[in-house]
Parts: sequence; C-alpha cells; structure tokens
Amino acid sequence: MEKIVQSVAEETAAATERKKSKFANGKFARNFKSNWTYLLFLIPAVVVTFVFAYIPIYGILIAFQDYMPGDSIMGANTIWVGFDNFTRFFNDYMFWSLMGNTFLLCILGFLIGFPLPILVALMLHSTKNKKLSKFLQTVFNGPHFISLVVLVGMLYLFFGRYGLVNNIIDAVGGDRYSFFLESKAFRPLYILSSNWQDFGWSSIIYLAALSGVDPAQHEAATLDGASRFQRILHVDFPAISSIVSIMLIMSIGGLMGVGYEKVLLMQTDGNIDTSEIISTYVYKKGLTGLPDQGYATAVGLFNSVINLALLFIANTISKRFSENSLF
Amino acid sequence: MKKVLATVAIGCAAVVALAGCGGGDHREKNSVEELVSKYGYQWTDPNAPIVNADGARELSFNVYSSKNASALDYNDMKVMEDLFESTNVYVNWENVSETIYKEQKNLIFGNGNKPDAIYHAGMTAGEIIKYASRKVLLPISDYLEYMPNFKQILNDRPDIKKQITNVEDGKIYALPRIEEMGLLQNPNLLFLNKEWTKQAVRANAVSGITEAQIEDGLALTSAQMESILIYFRDHDMNGNGNARDERPMNFVHNNWQGNQCDLYGMFGLNDNLEHRVIKDGKVTYTVTDDAFKEATNYIAKWVSDGLIDSVSFEQSQDNFLANGKGAEIYGAFYWWESETVVSNPDNYIVCEPLVGPNGDQTICVSNNPEVSTGELIVFSGCPNPEVLLTYFDRYYMPEISAQINYGPIGIVYEEEKDENGKLVQKEIPAGTTADELRLQNAPFGICYLSDYAWENVVNMEPRAQLRLERLEKYATPYVPATVTPVPNLQFTQAELNTLNQYENNIDTYIRSNLLKWLTKGGVSESDWTKFKSELASNRVGLNAVQKVYQDAYDRFVAEN
Amino acid sequence: MENVFQENQTAQPVEKAQKPKKRRVKESKGDRVYYIVTYILLGLLAAIVIYPLYFIVIASFSSTDAVLAGKVFLYPVDIDFTGYVKVFRRADIWIGYANTIWYTVAYTALSVVFTLTAAWALSRKTLPLRKFWMFFFTLTMFFGGGLIPFYNVVSSLNMVNTPWAIILPGTVSAWNLFMAKTFFQTGVSDSIIEAAEIDGANRFRLFVSVILPISMPIVAVLTLYYAIGQWNSYFNAMIFLQDEKMFPLQLVLKEILTASETTTGGSGETILEQFRLANQLKYVSVIISSLPVFLLYPFVQKYFAQGVLVGSLKD
Repeated sequence: MEKIVQSVAEETAAATERKKSKFANGKFARNFKSNWTYLLFLIPAVVVTFVFAYIPIYGILIAFQDYMPGDSIMGANTIWVGFDNFTRFFNDYMFWSLMGNTFLLCILGFLIGFPLPILVALMLHSTKNKKLSKFLQTVFNGPHFISLVVLVGMLYLFFGRYGLVNNIIDAVGGDRYSFFLESKAFRPLYILSSNWQDFGWSSIIYLAALSGVDPAQHEAATLDGASRFQRILHVDFPAISSIVSIMLIMSIGGLMGVGYEKVLLMQTDGNIDTSEIISTYVYKKGLTGLPDQGYATAVGLFNSVINLALLFIANTISKRFSENSLF
Repeated sequence: MKKVLATVAIGCAAVVALAGCGGGDHREKNSVEELVSKYGYQWTDPNAPIVNADGARELSFNVYSSKNASALDYNDMKVMEDLFESTNVYVNWENVSETIYKEQKNLIFGNGNKPDAIYHAGMTAGEIIKYASRKVLLPISDYLEYMPNFKQILNDRPDIKKQITNVEDGKIYALPRIEEMGLLQNPNLLFLNKEWTKQAVRANAVSGITEAQIEDGLALTSAQMESILIYFRDHDMNGNGNARDERPMNFVHNNWQGNQCDLYGMFGLNDNLEHRVIKDGKVTYTVTDDAFKEATNYIAKWVSDGLIDSVSFEQSQDNFLANGKGAEIYGAFYWWESETVVSNPDNYIVCEPLVGPNGDQTICVSNNPEVSTGELIVFSGCPNPEVLLTYFDRYYMPEISAQINYGPIGIVYEEEKDENGKLVQKEIPAGTTADELRLQNAPFGICYLSDYAWENVVNMEPRAQLRLERLEKYATPYVPATVTPVPNLQFTQAELNTLNQYENNIDTYIRSNLLKWLTKGGVSESDWTKFKSELASNRVGLNAVQKVYQDAYDRFVAEN
Repeated sequence: MENVFQENQTAQPVEKAQKPKKRRVKESKGDRVYYIVTYILLGLLAAIVIYPLYFIVIASFSSTDAVLAGKVFLYPVDIDFTGYVKVFRRADIWIGYANTIWYTVAYTALSVVFTLTAAWALSRKTLPLRKFWMFFFTLTMFFGGGLIPFYNVVSSLNMVNTPWAIILPGTVSAWNLFMAKTFFQTGVSDSIIEAAEIDGANRFRLFVSVILPISMPIVAVLTLYYAIGQWNSYFNAMIFLQDEKMFPLQLVLKEILTASETTTGGSGETILEQFRLANQLKYVSVIISSLPVFLLYPFVQKYFAQGVLVGSLKD
C-alpha cells in the first residue's frame, strides 16, 4: 500500500517535472516523435517566408540611420542617428492631425467594411433563387477589377460638379455640391467607394464557409418552427463564426495600414484637412527633393508597432471570449 | 525573439556578402595618357571622332535612361547612331519607361551592377547633394578640360553655372538641360469669346468698349470683365436653349499653367503657385501682402456670383480640355494657348491682363525653370569617364542639341540647310503628325538651346513662335522690371533639412486656406490676421523657409 | 404591413413561379418580411454595382471627350471604337496578356500548394512548436524591411529581370494561410483523421486522398484569391523587370494610363494625345482585365456546392 502511494506520488512528481521541461525528453519529445511529419508540410511556406520576408527585415535598421540607397546598412560608413527620425515625426506639428485622420479613416472604413461582406454573404446564401444568387455573386466581384486610377476617375465623373449625382441634385432643385472640395465629404466618399469595390470580393470567403453548412440542420430547425432569420442566427452564423473571428483579428491587426495611392488620387486642396494621412504625408515628404529613407522607414515601423499591438489586443480579447484566436 | 533576430542577422549578412561579389565589371580602366596612346582619344576638335576605331571596338559605356512611351529604343535612334558615327564612342542604352524609372531609380543606386551614367536622371538638388557627399557621383566639374562645349557655356553663362554648382564643395555633379524659349515664365493668357462679347456689347451690357475693339489685345478693366461675365452667365449665349450651361470664366486652379494666378495681377501681385517671387532682390511671399487678401475677396465674389465656374477648383486638365470641345460653353478662360482648349480657336481673342479696381495691371510670374539641373549623372565607378564626358559634351553643340530635342537630320530635318544656315523641317510623312515623329525620334535630355541656337541653327516650332509673339505683346510688358522668378537655387544640407521640415506644411496650409476662401465667399479680417500669424509662427515656419531662400538667392547673385 | 406584402407580390413573381413545389413548409409571415428586406437590400446593392459597371461598358466605346465632359450617362455618346481598335493593335497588350496568364498559373499553383500544406500542418494541435510557427507567420503581416532590402535579397538570388521575381516572393500570404488553417480546423473533424490513421494511411496520403477532396471550397477560394491577386498585381514587375517583353498585362496598362503624367518633352499637343489615349483605354482596360474572373468564378462556385460534403462528414 505504501509502495503504491509512493509510486503515485513519484508519478505525479514526474508529471510536473515533465510539464516543466517539456523540451527535455518528455511530452514534447514524444509528440515530436509521432508528429514530426507535420513539420515537412511546413517546409515550403517557411522557406519562402524566411527568404522573402525575414531576411529583408534587417532593413528596419534604416529607421535609425540617415540612409541613402547604396549605403551599407551595417557598415563602417553607416550614419546612425538614433531615434532622430522618430522624434522628428512625433514633433511634427501635423503629427496629431495625421494620427487622427488615419485612425478615423481606418476605423470608419472598418466599421462598415468588416460586417458588410458577412451580411452580403448571409443574404446571398439565404436566397431561394440559387441562379439569382450566383449571378449576383459574380456581379458583385466586378468592381474588384477596376484599377484605382479608373475608380477615382469615375468618382470624379459621378460626383464632380457636373457629374451624375450633381445633375440629379440640380434636377430636383438642389444646389450643386462640390464633393471633392469639402473636407466632410472625403471620408464617406473614400470609404463607401472602397467598400463598393470590395464587399463582393471579401464575401467569397464567407460564402465558401457557408457552403459547409449541413442542409439537414436547416431542415431540422425549420421543423422546429425556426424562421429564416432565426436560422441565420442559429445555423448559418455559428457555422462561419470561427472564420469571422479570425478575419476580425487580422483586420484589426491591419487597421492602420492604409496605403497612400487612392487617398492621394482623391486628395484636393479642399479636403486635405481630412485626407492627409500618415502614408500620404510621408510620401509627399519624399517628393520634396530631399530623399529621406530613414524617416519613411521610421514612420512605417511606428505604424507596424501600432498594428502589432492592436493585433495582440484583438487576439487576447478573442481568446477570452471565444475559443478562436490566432495563436 | 533574440534567437530569431540573430538568425536573421546571420542570414542577412550572408546575403549581403553574396550581393557584394555578384556581377563585377571587367572593363579596363585607362589613364588619359593611355587613352590617347591606345585609342587616339582627343577632345579638342568637336567635329572629329573622339576615339579611333580601336576605341569604338574596345571601349563601351552603359547608360541607363527612361524614355517616352512613344520613343524608339535609344539604341535604334538615328540621332544616337549618327553620334556613334561621328564620335566612335559606343554607348549601350538601357531604356526603361518613365513610370518604371521612378520606381527603380533608388534601387539602381543600391545595385551591385550600376550603370555608368543615368540619362533623364531627374535628380533633385537634394538627391545630388546627398549622393555627392557619399562619393557616389562623379564630380563632373573636375573633367571640364575634356568638355570644351560645356566649359564654354559655363564661361558665357555664370547664371547657369550658379544653378548647377553644389554650394558645399563648389563642384558640379550633374549635367543640365537648357531650353530657353522664354515661354515658361508666364504660363497663362486670358482668352475671351469674341462672338459672345460682341453680343454683350450690342446689348449694352458693358460700357466703354465698342464692337470694333473686340480683337486680340483687348484691354478690359475688372469692372468691364465683370459685366461681360454677368451677361454670359445670364443668357443662353450658345443658343442651345439652355441658359445655364455657359461657364463664364474657367481655369484649372493651381495647375502649372492656366491657373488663377493672373487674377491676382489685378491687385498688383505677381503671384505663382508657390506664392514666392524675387522682388527688388528680396525673396517675397505674395500671401503675406494685404493686397492678397483684397484680391482673394474680390475673386471669391466672382466665384460666389457664379462668374467663375466653381468647377475650376476641382477639375483636372483633362476635364477642362474635354469641355472645350463640342458645343461652345466657355466665355473666358486662362490657358497656355487657345488652340488646344476649344474646337474653334478663331472665335477667342487674347486679352491684355485685366486692370484691377485700383488700376493695377500685371500678371503671374511663375517659377517654372528653363534649366533642368539634374538631367545626367555619372557614377564615380565609371571607367574612362573622360571619354564618356567628351561624348556627352557633344550634345551641347547647337546642331546636335537641336537634333536631340527635335529629331535627327534625315528624318525630321533636311540634309540641306536654308539660306540662313538653319535646319529645314522635312515634309511630314502621311499618317503621322509632327509631334509623333518628334517623339519617336528625339531622345530629349541634355542640350543647350538658347538665343544663339534660335538665331542661327533651328527655328522654333510654329506654335511656340505664336505663343512667344502673344507673350511679347500681352504678357511680358506687364511684368515690372524689379520682379523675377526664383531661379534654381543650390542649398546646403542644413538648409535642405529646414526646407524638408517646413515646406510641405507651408504649402498645405496655404493651399487649403486659399481654396476655402476662394470657394466660400472670401476671408474675414480675423481669419486673415490669424493666417498671417500662423504662417509666421515656428510651427508652420514660413520665416525660416524664407530665410533659406534668401540666403541661397544672395549666394546666387553674389559675384562668385 | 399590407403594403409590404403587396410589394412582395410584385417584387418576386419569378421566385414564386419557379419554386412553388419545393417549399415543404409554408412560409411564415416573418419569413416573408425577411425575404422582402433581403431582396430589397440585394436589389439596391445590385443597382449600385451594376450601374457603374454598365457605365464602364458604354464609356469604353463613347468618345473620350464626351465621357470626360460628363455627357455619358445612360447610353453611349458619339460611338467610337478606337479604344478597342488601339488595344487590339497593340502587341504589348497581347504579350502582356500571355505573360500574365503564365505568371498567374505558375504563381497560383505554387501558392496554393505551399499554403494548403502549411495551413494543414498549422491546423493540427499536435504540430510541434505550433505557437512559434503561428507567430512566425503572423509577424510577416506587420514587419517588412522595406523595398531596398527586399530588392537586394531578390537581386542576390539572381532573380532580377526573371519571372521568378514575380512568381516566388509572394507565394505565401499569412492572411490566406490563416484563413485556410481556420477552415481546416472547423471543417475537418478529428474523427475522420483518427479513422484514417487507424487504417494506417500515412500523413501525406491522408492529406491528398482524404483531406483535400473534402476541402474543395477552401482550395477554390485560395485559387481564386491568389490567382486574381497575381492577375491584378504589377508592383513586383515594376521593380524587378526591365525587359518590356516580360511585362504582365497590368503593368502594360498602368504604363499606358500613367504615361501622360510623366511625359518628358513633347509639346502640349503630344501630351494631350497621350492623355486622350490614356482616357480612351481607361475603360477598355477594365473590361479586358476583368474578363478572367467572369470566366473563373463559375468554377469556383461549383466547388462551393461540393463543399456541402465537409458538413455532412462532420461528426
């Protein structure tokens, strides 16, 4: 009896020990032994990612340098400037307005742009006329193929002073409105056009997820007297909830990463109060004639850090409230 | 995390090391004596070959260049082939498009296999000074001995020399493109619809002018213009049954040409897009002048009254030009010329600058330079740079400059010259336009076309001549002698840092306020005071920038 | 409420005519309201998507000046096919088309394989060092070294001015990877794997013959996302390619559309001519570059229908 007790005690001790050192020949080793083949699946992706994404990361050092193309990044002649590039950005008198504009543009875009494809996918999935649904899916993808130059050109044509929208306003007796010269029209115009362009495209992933819903579940729910709307809530949505949370986490992590191209194309003297964002500002600084790679890299790094922080927050919250998380 | 970084660092080091030994240039470097003895290198006679047949075979240079989308590959251009014939210097052109060049420009500098030179380099003064400080660029001024034509230009034209000389070490790192036609300084002309104006006069809508006066050179006061525009606004001028599609006055706000700046001339301001001119030797900002406020309010009233079409502030140049075609809707407009804007240019007359309410009559003085400073750079690693520079020096000879800019003898010009010794335009082959032919066959780039060339070598294009005549009559006489554009200036690195810190913010601040005022009824007294004090503050930094420009300008005008 | 029902009657006659027999349970009031709202919303969305697309089509064969002057709204004005004629005559566009097709096929094949295999591994809880790998891929979504080091890496692999510079670097997108991983996690139940492992199938055979066939929806989505991503991209080509014979379609089009902005030299007339060409080709370019999705998407949809399998095998 004593022996048994002793051996049990020994075993628990060993178990804790194993837990502590899972890198020793304990659980980890055993797991490794039986599951190392999974690592083979990872090889191509890891190699490509390491070569093309990790090796170039040394370029982050440029953020701490006065760098010109051709300079060596870790050489004897490298001009180190410490946090100069960062402080210059933080002390710029535009800093807070840039942060505000960038953040507002992104967060508003996200608030509309994230749920819209999900709603569209749920709606398309729920229609009874499958042909119509397929047709609409195809049509909704169309705008994704319009290049930015053409898209913004069309915006100017439709929302310009003598464009379609203003002609309608004029016809019903309103005053023509210069959408492109008004600060307050910029964000709606930008966000709505972006969403217009991509809601169909982004809904594909949810449609794919919805295709995995078992029709039997719907039938059962219908027999239980669930309405179509209730079935969406209780059958369809749960089926896509995990992909929704992953997409949510990743979107939040990419929140501040808005590029300069489209904003710059839409920017006018009239809306610059709201349309000057971090990326356009850095881009324009680069055009003033004094190339400043270090500054641009520093701002980019700052942006990445914010995004990474956002990702961690989103991930932690998601982990706490559901089982879905990135890592 | 640390481990990851360490691995990354090792990986990078390996890659960087690899990149370092890649490629490799196996061309021989020769001293000038060797060049002379081996290849018969000579630079004194600008009409004889630079090197002999051996040199043509054994020496070669790689020059990277962007090219216009319609241009032939430079290796296949007749100008280039002719140059090889006459100089024996073999240049291998690596052409990319302009869009691509913009993206690849920075990458070329980091590449192990750099070309020997970049043509159409489009280097800014800031880039040149920073690359020069890193010894990446060849100091071309050390080789002036081998560049007789260019040296002559520098001797004749100290103003050009000043524009391209680095202030920190007194050297020249880039060759310029100089095309002095005198067209750029005043980029606007005021055009007025002849027929419509006659109607307005007949209807007695405007006092003080008769129908007979309505021809090129019409001088109008701002009050008369206002009456005419009101008449345009209120009547169905083009007779299409719609009295609301006429656009009394039109332009493209803040465009490099055809902009609003001439309107400020009504209040005695020589405005431009930067709002910066030289007045009595001082760098002056028009936006700090109270006349600017007055003018803005005056123009804003025209806008709110619908005399200036609000679309002027949002349209692009394409929209502006497209609207000029088809049914006539433009009353008055500012543009470079009328021919490109409207389908019926004969119906539009050129006006003198408007005379303002206080009797002022002047126009925009723009800072568009006629000398592009960073057109060609040579990398310091280039072997035998003397030969390459002597070769490029030939581009500055008047007859070659003309061919570089307009196309070669044999395609664009006749072999025979006219009685004045000038090049004669060939007949254009059916199916192409003069412009297409020129774009296809002329590389543009470094050249020197100045008074001498216009008088002795080549005629300006007819359209350029027409515009020049118009400018001489209706623009240049109204620019005060004391006002000049700000020339290309050279800055020190410290000065460039100041500009980099403030200029973009100043520009944004002025632009956004100006647009607000012009489109929303003008500027109040308190807003104006606030604007001026904000500009002068350290946050926006106009004073600091003004000082930088003043210092640089003082150096520019100083004797040596 | 009465009114709403009437609208319903008029709004969906087709619907009713087509499938009255299939309906096993009679539609409740709530369902009707739901469908009305859904169809109205979808109708609105369809309208705001279809009109601009329709505009692109009519603008592509209207006169450029008429389009720019805002005269084209409902029907083409001054019909003019020069845009199309110019496109068909331009050899570079066709070369670009061919290049794009081959870059897209190669890139998509590699990407889908790399992503699916990695996603499958990441979706297994027993993968050694799983958290580390997740973190490894996550980081790439945020930190890049910028263009210059990236260029140097590609250049040191001697891939500059080769198709590899376009095909290889972007083959694994963390975003798509995590999407696929989530799919495997939720769509493939452990019981299938356990069953297969008892059968003695090794992991590769398991993946190819059991997992892939029931994961066609995600394979289809990845194919579509990667293929169209590559189809629409021009940036890598713009940085790494010098030889115009290798340019993909989007870069050729971008060159044409932006040529007018960067013209050196040339008189006003020339610049105008290039503007005109750019404007003429604007809308034609959308049409020729969006063709593939209209060809590809129906196939993808077919796999969505098969995706039902995943659900039925689940538990």
